[in-house]
Amino acid sequence: MGYAFDTCPDRPENIDAILNGLDRYNPETTGIFQDYIAQQCESQTYDCFANLALLKLYQFNPHLLQLETTTNILAKALTVFPSPDFSLCLSLLPPHVLAQTKNAQQNGTAPPSGTLAEAVQLLSVLHTQLNNAQYDQFWDTLNGDDLYADLVADVQGFEELMRVRIAVVVSQCMQEVERSILESWMSIKGSKFENFVKEICGWKIEGEKVVIPLNKENEARSSVVRENVKFEQFGRMVKRAYEQPA
Amino acid sequence: MSVRQAPVYQQGGERPRADPDSDGEEEALANNYREQQAYGDGEDYDLTRSVSLGSGPQDLQAQLQAAATPLEYQATLETKIQSYDSYCNLFHFILNSEGPVDIEVPSYYWAWDVIDEFLYQFNSFCSYRQRLAYQQSSTQVNEDDITVLRENPNIWGCYSVLNVLYSLIQRSQISEQLAARKRGEDPAPYAGEYGSRSLYQMLGYFSIIGLLRVHCLLGDFSLAVKTLDDIELNKKAMFARVMAANFTTYYYVGFSYMMMHRYADALRAFNHILIYVSRTKNFQKGAQYDSITKKNEQMYALVAICVAMNPTRLDDTIHTSLREKYGEQLSRMQRGGPEALPIFEELFRAACPKFISPTPPDFDNPQLNVDPVEHQLSIFMDEVKNNMFCPTVRSYLKLYSTMDLTKLAGFLEVDSETLRSWLLVNKQRSRQVRHSEGGLLEGDVVNSNDLDYAMQGDLIHVSEAKVGRRLVDWYLRNLARTY
Repeated sequence: MGYAFDTCPDRPENIDAILNGLDRYNPETTGIFQDYIAQQCESQTYDCFANLALLKLYQFNPHLLQLETTTNILAKALTVFPSPDFSLCLSLLPPHVLAQTKNAQQNGTAPPSGTLAEAVQLLSVLHTQLNNAQYDQFWDTLNGDDLYADLVADVQGFEELMRVRIAVVVSQCMQEVERSILESWMSIKGSKFENFVKEICGWKIEGEKVVIPLNKENEARSSVVRENVKFEQFGRMVKRAYEQPA
Repeated sequence: MSVRQAPVYQQGGERPRADPDSDGEEEALANNYREQQAYGDGEDYDLTRSVSLGSGPQDLQAQLQAAATPLEYQATLETKIQSYDSYCNLFHFILNSEGPVDIEVPSYYWAWDVIDEFLYQFNSFCSYRQRLAYQQSSTQVNEDDITVLRENPNIWGCYSVLNVLYSLIQRSQISEQLAARKRGEDPAPYAGEYGSRSLYQMLGYFSIIGLLRVHCLLGDFSLAVKTLDDIELNKKAMFARVMAANFTTYYYVGFSYMMMHRYADALRAFNHILIYVSRTKNFQKGAQYDSITKKNEQMYALVAICVAMNPTRLDDTIHTSLREKYGEQLSRMQRGGPEALPIFEELFRAACPKFISPTPPDFDNPQLNVDPVEHQLSIFMDEVKNNMFCPTVRSYLKLYSTMDLTKLAGFLEVDSETLRSWLLVNKQRSRQVRHSEGGLLEGDVVNSNDLDYAMQGDLIHVSEAKVGRRLVDWYLRNLARTY
């Protein structure tokens, strides 16, 4: 699977032109990028490189920063965990925002509500839980507070996207897993769960176990890295053999 | 096209480069700036200014020389501002004279020195300003300096610096030339009037490296790596001819990769340049070598961090030096766990570039001007914490070919829920994007660890990739010796 960070199959041409030109520094393009992220939220597409360009514009022009757009970018970045996108987005935020959240964490208080610091703090909790593979806690946190519902409200199909990502991680690591564990990781039960596992993941349910077909990642086959011998390596020998006939 | 276009942007005025001649605007700005300056050492200042625009070949030579010379350590604020101004004048002269200017540069690495010093001063000015604003409440600072900085927010502005670099790149059409070379064509037809001259070519080329550096300093790591799209990273590249440039390039590329969690790629970059340095250090003399010694140490620290995050076999030379320099820290980091965190922090702080904030600090709210280094550090530490228990898990798994989850959890003194999460985390961490060909941002997701495993319910199957004996290599080497 080839992967290039700066490309995106769904990216419109005009966005591509801005990203590759100097207009990416022009504050007037902020609006275009903002519309683009709104569109990504709706159509369940994702273009990190463009979103980072918008965060960069905010970095240069802090007065343009829109709270809602920024949280949408961060929420979108969560949907592609465990890739580094969330961290890369944080790197471009104003340093005092993160410092505020850290201070608040240490003092056990919450940052003032309705601020970027609050949103970043809440989303960071999710990010940590996801990266630490604490999926049941992730769902508890997400469903435990109405603030979270607001934060991810704009991202269409957020829960579904998260389930798919979790399924990807699971499929890389497991051949068989107990149904009850998977249910709590996916936070769905009963027929909904069966449907998701069978239709979307293509896995089998056998009694209390979910069987995941073997793939390249979950096979765990011992291998020996063999020497890669090329004919050119013998060039010198062959040459010598011709030069000095025995 | 003007070097001092920054304010135009900030007012949301004209498009970046659409207007080739915004001289009026610029003149106004310059006047405005001169007025602001006038309260100080007005007379003296005007004097330096009037000579600065190419009044004679000798002055110009002095100016070229000055541009590549570091400011003294104790330079006053005024000197720093003047230095900014003379850079602006020099670049304005080079970029906006009628036709390409024909000047003799003092040395072949002059272009690198100018860009390097220009960015160094920009970087240290931003850090200084930020620190001053942050400390103004707690310690005694020079009120006058703060007033000057407050009133001149555009001195060493980020937009102006980027504008200089982009203008030099555009004028010299260096990207087009490099792209042609990459395709195997002759770059000359793409060079244009400016780009065919070595002055512009070199300035343009090193501006690309400069951009890499600025983007990295601003925390935009993916864009930093992307700027090198047209440059091929190998020993034949043009930057390799200037040792300091060679070194700087790999440092920033490696660091950016590290922040993108691509440790294998970061290690490849560090490895390449550190081996190069260790092989050539006997030929390197004088100032050029001194300046890289510090960076050399920093890169070893980064190598230590990357190896701890992503266990790899290093080149023997690098491995030996690493043991000498950071042996103690490395083994503590490789052991993992919470005790390792302060070591990661210490090494990161010592080895990271001095990050900057692109906007002038908020002098009215000192507490908002947090050091950007702390910002990037805390982001990176989140990643380290996430990785914290991987070494423990790996060290146990190495001993078995199959293992029961609950039993292993008993060994590790955690519940099986936690261990299951650790195993998932470790698996995720072992899959990372690695560059194979094409642009530097491209790559494939590969397994970067020789240890792999899969879980069947509560049973863990462990597998290890072993390196087979290299027989052919051995025979060939011995044949070559005797035959």
